[in-house]
Amino acid sequence: MVPYLYGIGFLILTVFFYFISKKLYSIIPSPFTLPIIITSLSIIIFLYLFDIPYSVYMYGGQWINHFLGPLVVALALPLYRQRYLIKKYALVIFTGILTGSFIGVLSGVLLTLSLGFGESVIAAVAPKSVTTPVALSITDATGGSMSLAAIFVMIAGISGAMFAPMMWRAGRVNHPVAKGLGIGTASHAIGTAKALEDSELAGAVSALSMTISAVLVSLIAPLVLKILF
Amino acid sequence: MKKIIYILLQISLLFIFYHLGEYIQSVLNLTIPGSIIGMLLFFVLLLTNIIPERIISNGIDLLIKDMPLFFVPVTVGVIEFFDFFRGKGSLILLAAFLSTLLVIFTTSFIAGKLLEKEADI
Repeated sequence: MVPYLYGIGFLILTVFFYFISKKLYSIIPSPFTLPIIITSLSIIIFLYLFDIPYSVYMYGGQWINHFLGPLVVALALPLYRQRYLIKKYALVIFTGILTGSFIGVLSGVLLTLSLGFGESVIAAVAPKSVTTPVALSITDATGGSMSLAAIFVMIAGISGAMFAPMMWRAGRVNHPVAKGLGIGTASHAIGTAKALEDSELAGAVSALSMTISAVLVSLIAPLVLKILF
Repeated sequence: MKKIIYILLQISLLFIFYHLGEYIQSVLNLTIPGSIIGMLLFFVLLLTNIIPERIISNGIDLLIKDMPLFFVPVTVGVIEFFDFFRGKGSLILLAAFLSTLLVIFTTSFIAGKLLEKEADI
């Protein structure tokens, strides 16, 4: 009974912090005030202050986790809405996303390997370029640490949102489709929000890139890890 | 009230596809996650209009809009990795950062070149 009450309490707390963070983000929008960051940080501070172990917080957290898999399924809807774009730019889209997905997994894995980290860390880095629910599914399947994976996904999202314009200038990239492909493949939903600032077309291409790259990375990451270990 | 029941049914559909995907994954022993298989199945049923977009969209859009809420518990788990990041672990953050910039640069660059070529033809 007691775990149940704790669970309900933490569930309410999480939802409460999330909606406050959303409010804050609407006042100060920046990659550092994203609701996921502010909410998680507030809860971490809360747990720290009251000396509550993570496992106790998870009495409530585990219920929320049940939505992670079904959320991946939900991504079919935005992809379906972009189907005309896929048709129009088919070759560019598939070449770009396939290249980017491979480079993302390989460079992440090789850099981490060269730093001397073990399999559970490397498996958590491998899917960092894809949207959180998919990265967690992949990491769960490959035996990596899911919480580390969530952090790496966030790093990929924020660094992309901050430095993509610099990369585009360096490569003299002007076409909104090219921009959307790059940022969507590397930085998922956080990147897509940034792409929308560039143009509606870049945002739409970024949204479909993040879903297609999620499918590709879910094939590539386990394969690369299998070859390595 | 009717609206809430609709939304609950639409969201349950996602759970059904998810478990179907997990089932297919375990039976066929695939390395691709069951959730992705469920997503692809759902996508095909949308494309073929077996499931029309309008009968499922409001519940799913509602869920997608607040998707980050569902990542909070896993992210809070980083609390168990503080020592890791205080040490050598912080180097991986740099690795993830560099790898991300590399992906944006190469993908956008290659796509840009291909688009220029297509425009020339």
